[in-house]
Amino acid sequence: MFDVFRNVLAEVQKETSEMAFKTWFKNVELSALDREAGVATIGVPNVFLVKTLETKYRGILMDAFRHNKIDLKQIDFVIKSNDGIKTKSREVRDEDGIRLGGGERVKSVRDLTEHLVAARPAAQTSTGLNSKYTLDSFIVGSSNELAAGVARLIVKNPGVGYNPFFLYGGPGLGKTHLVQAIGNAILENDPTKRVLYITTNHFYSEFINAVRANRGEQFIKKYQRLDVLIIDDFQMIIGKDRSQEEFFNIFNDLHQANKQIIITSDRLPEQIKTLDPRLSSRLRAGGAYDIQFPGFEDRCAILKAKAEFMGQEIEDAAIEYLAENIKTNIRELEGEFQKLMVTSEIKGMTPLELINEGYMSGAVVQRRRSVTPRTVVEKVAKYYDLTVVEMTGRSRVAIIKTARQVAMYLLSKELGMSTNKIAPEVGVKDHTTVMNGIRKIEKDSRSDAQLHDQVEQIREAIYG
Amino acid sequence: MEIEVNSGKLARALNVVSRVASSGKTTLPILNNVLIRVDSGKVTLTTTNLDMAVVDYLPVSDSKDGVITVPARLLAEFSSNLPKGKTVKVKTEGLKVTLESGKYRSTLNGVVADDFPELPEIDEVKMVRFKMSVDEFKNGVTEAMIASSNDMTRPALTGVFFSTIEGSLHAAATDGYRLAERKLIDRVESEVKVIVPASSLSEVMRSLSDEVEEIEILFDETQVRFRFGEIEITSKLIDGSYPDYRQIIPKEIEATIIVDKAELMRATKLAALFAREVGGTIVLEAKTATGTFSVASVANEFGENSSEIETEVTKDERMTLNSRFLIDAINALEEDKVRLEFPGKTLPIIVRNAKSDNYTHIIMPLKS
Repeated sequence: MFDVFRNVLAEVQKETSEMAFKTWFKNVELSALDREAGVATIGVPNVFLVKTLETKYRGILMDAFRHNKIDLKQIDFVIKSNDGIKTKSREVRDEDGIRLGGGERVKSVRDLTEHLVAARPAAQTSTGLNSKYTLDSFIVGSSNELAAGVARLIVKNPGVGYNPFFLYGGPGLGKTHLVQAIGNAILENDPTKRVLYITTNHFYSEFINAVRANRGEQFIKKYQRLDVLIIDDFQMIIGKDRSQEEFFNIFNDLHQANKQIIITSDRLPEQIKTLDPRLSSRLRAGGAYDIQFPGFEDRCAILKAKAEFMGQEIEDAAIEYLAENIKTNIRELEGEFQKLMVTSEIKGMTPLELINEGYMSGAVVQRRRSVTPRTVVEKVAKYYDLTVVEMTGRSRVAIIKTARQVAMYLLSKELGMSTNKIAPEVGVKDHTTVMNGIRKIEKDSRSDAQLHDQVEQIREAIYG
Repeated sequence: MEIEVNSGKLARALNVVSRVASSGKTTLPILNNVLIRVDSGKVTLTTTNLDMAVVDYLPVSDSKDGVITVPARLLAEFSSNLPKGKTVKVKTEGLKVTLESGKYRSTLNGVVADDFPELPEIDEVKMVRFKMSVDEFKNGVTEAMIASSNDMTRPALTGVFFSTIEGSLHAAATDGYRLAERKLIDRVESEVKVIVPASSLSEVMRSLSDEVEEIEILFDETQVRFRFGEIEITSKLIDGSYPDYRQIIPKEIEATIIVDKAELMRATKLAALFAREVGGTIVLEAKTATGTFSVASVANEFGENSSEIETEVTKDERMTLNSRFLIDAINALEEDKVRLEFPGKTLPIIVRNAKSDNYTHIIMPLKS
């Protein structure tokens, strides 16, 4: 019944300005609905909103209900608890059974002391989940709606249907957010579920330590007990053969017991070299879903949601400017947004004023401008421990050739240079060599994690 | 609508109300405006950020009924730049608002008052009322509020808890690291248990001028109203239950130490300098062997510091805490002497005025 209210609100939104809607209907809920009597009770987060809702929006609400086939005679507004701030923080039990987080009820000095421990930052518990990642704060757009939809289905019915859930996509697009949100939502529905989020690297080191300490069995048991296992950055499994085997065993155990497995990676299983083909086919059994870089509209939506979430004001034009100019990934988009907001606060100017003054948040553009082809070539050479002369020479030694191709690739991707212009920078004669080089890196970095990481690290070095 | 008003009075009233306008997180433009209403000669200026509303009753020499809203900050700045003691005439023609004072004349674009949010109605008869002196209110509430939290994920702790305990009205606040409780009024008739947002209280503090002597506080289940002088501030209350904080205050005390407030403050600040790199960690220590009480920093790469204060020591005590919290607590005290009460290991220290019991400030120890 409460889904109806979503439609009602959507209807109201059409009838009101965006700002008015945000002001008056944010955190407004349907508390009760008696269809027969025609009475709806609407929960309002703040006493100051009641009167205006009653006098100005009652009619609009009535109409909106009617369009959803609910004829109301009366709408009551009540102040709802929680002050509109979401404090659904669940109670998490740590291993000793001490109450952490959640409850504000302090019963004794001892409790307060425990409370203090809990009050320290990094609300990480043994689930490895960060409670800031929620499904509500995950902005859905065309680039990720399929993945997000499946995520919601998994939350409803973990272990059934989409198992394993394999999620892939480039860095900074929200994979971690989505999978952690699944974990958090499952726990919220059922706090007794045993959920574990772990990165592949962490899994590996835990495994190695367990083997060294002769606790391999305990290690496996810990995983077998789980209801939901979330493994992040699975491509890192490359070259870790022993943990691959162990993972395969754990995977099979959990899968057979219908426990939910969630995996993220920056590429498809079959593109992860050295991955056992048996494993890779099983990883795809529940379907592989990708997250792509969001389009312009979605980028705007993400920034708007972020601003709203942080309670910050930013002009639409400023948001569009950011979305227009930052096309790498969401992490950077959010980072630049953050920087812009801080600068705006320090300087006492609105974000748009700053941009109009030529600030260009965090100087993305400036930064881009300040990167010359020469810098790129130098950074690449440095990374591979070569001199520029060596790298741009004629050597056919494999590593030098790769370096040269990485340089071509980055000059093209980062500076948008044409193949004709790239050629002289890297000491090759014709643009077809450059074209082939770029293609090769493009293709190889998708399947070769090592190369992929190298390119990412160089990219960082260039802008760092 | 038309009013004639003294420029100084207009400026002062607008100064108070304009702060609340445009202070909200929302971007609804009408909230940047002040609502000017003249109703049978009574002139009110109203602003709101939808968490609280300020109404100022403006004494005017002449008026014609009507209502309009205009940008609050602009009007405030205009009127505060006028020469003092002159008469200002504010007049509407349609949505144009003209302001005239001697040679100065300006026209503002107003917004129709219908767009201004309707403020909650309050039935004052049903409200619980308290009256107290402004000085006592300012001191008392500030002393409690100092311990409030600004962690928005725990809304209850961002407020100050007003409650009647043993027939007296108390204000209390805690952020989980420390707790402050102040008795405000002895022997009150009514019972109350409400959480007032600290932000609203700060606004009340800022709006209190030296000229008013008495403040009236009215509560119902969802709102609180502060009335003083010509001003009325109404705020929502924070919904939720407040932790049963009284149970945290240790009842049994192992040792009590009385020290000079200025001396303790100096010693604490000195230790705090050296404690900067270790998160403000300092150690209080009482030694019966030497009969001294000392405040010291924890030794670190920058060096260390220790100050001794002479006092009577009855039992060895040692306690590690955050210097910032201790400084806050000392600042909140009114007497010249401080009473430090040690309830024993791992229990919080109690900081009080040497003589009076009406203020209790407790600080959690740091796990050393």
